[in-house]
Amino acid sequence: MRFLKSRIADSSRALLGPLEITVMELLWEHGESSVHDVVPKLARPLAYTTVMTTLDRLYKKGLLDRRKSERAFVYAPRLSRREWEHKRTGDFVAGFLAAPQTSGEMLVSCLVEAVGQQDEALLDELEKKIRMKRKELCRRGKP
Amino acid sequence: MTLPYPLRLLCLCLATFFLVHLVLGLGTWLLSPAAVRMARRLRPGTAARLLLSLRLFPLAGSVFLVAGLCVPSYLWLEPRASAEEVGFTCLAAALMAGAIWAISIARALGAATRSLRYIRRSQRLGRAVQLPGELSPVWVMEGAPVSLVLAGILRPRVFISRAVVDALSAEQLAAALRHERAHRISRDNLKRLLLLLAPDLFPFSRRFATIERAWARFAEWAADDGAVAGDSLRSLSLAAALVRVARLGPAPQPSPLVACLVDAGADLSARVERLLRCVPPGEESARTLPVMAAGGMVAVAASAVAVMMHPVTLHTAHRLFEQLMH
Repeated sequence: MRFLKSRIADSSRALLGPLEITVMELLWEHGESSVHDVVPKLARPLAYTTVMTTLDRLYKKGLLDRRKSERAFVYAPRLSRREWEHKRTGDFVAGFLAAPQTSGEMLVSCLVEAVGQQDEALLDELEKKIRMKRKELCRRGKP
Repeated sequence: MTLPYPLRLLCLCLATFFLVHLVLGLGTWLLSPAAVRMARRLRPGTAARLLLSLRLFPLAGSVFLVAGLCVPSYLWLEPRASAEEVGFTCLAAALMAGAIWAISIARALGAATRSLRYIRRSQRLGRAVQLPGELSPVWVMEGAPVSLVLAGILRPRVFISRAVVDALSAEQLAAALRHERAHRISRDNLKRLLLLLAPDLFPFSRRFATIERAWARFAEWAADDGAVAGDSLRSLSLAAALVRVARLGPAPQPSPLVACLVDAGADLSARVERLLRCVPPGEESARTLPVMAAGGMVAVAASAVAVMMHPVTLHTAHRLFEQLMH
């Protein structure tokens, strides 16, 4: 199970690095942007060339379109965030199902466990609300 | 196809049933989204009754028309001696009616058998215990999967696994048992059987699933309201019992004719949120609505019977049925 989880994390990391994800997030939020537009919007200061290389890498991975405006490139996301998430999940699942049989079984088992964990989280949340309501009633009950 | 007098009557009744049921059913199906929206504004008990009436309306209307118009007009006006030809449309409609009835009867019988089997197995596993505050004994099952259910149609009984008894506090157990008692009082298992018996528009179609799901939800909410009776502490106890039982693990429903405290896949979150809002008890005036509706329906049915028994109506109906037959 742990292997499967690390594989999920690895595959998304292999596809996009942290800086690439940050840049993609900015482009999804602000739309078409040049390197000049992206650099000041980053949370940590980065060199112009670093951002330029990152955008170029994203373009080569097929995630961005670009056009020349004056002397610089302007980049725009090729897929919406939702389309990209969908593609990424689809690629990941297809990769697992194409692998030996045990991987497919492991994927299903991991999904079931994840659903179970979500159920547990929901039950925890409901129990918390019940406790709070009980406290509120007790407070109101006191003179 | 040439058929003798009694078979022609059977064929005509089935064909009439199918066609009338199709028309009424289509109307009900088209109305169902609006009815569900309207039900959301009503008290759960009233909403459940409204949706149940709507779901059973095509069946009741068709049976009423066949028994009140088709059979009397045929028996009174059709000559007995001859064997007559029955047309393809009439035969096809009769076969469709036979198919939808066969499917719904098989579905209901299957569910009733599974329910009976569950009751027998649970009685073998458990023993009847008189719990404090309970009028009738509760069957506590040792070593059974997690369950707290009301099983049985005519004499519903509560079956509870030892794991649930041990997991719930006294207040939570009392609230859960009051919930099942509310189901018993409103005869929800019998209503489930009626829903299974009510045919769909076509064989293997599920046009009324929306109404049936909404009915099930409102029936649960009504039982919750009946169990807490507007008492905030009881509300909290029932909400806590629901969460505690859900935590014990998924409890598959042994039969569609069994009411489970926590149904797998049901809207547990919505039920708990409702209970935390401490829904006040319904006002007495709201009870007059179903009484008025029932009175209105009886009046309409009586007027319809009076019209249907009139010779002119029977003659007209007979002419129409002759056209359908040939």
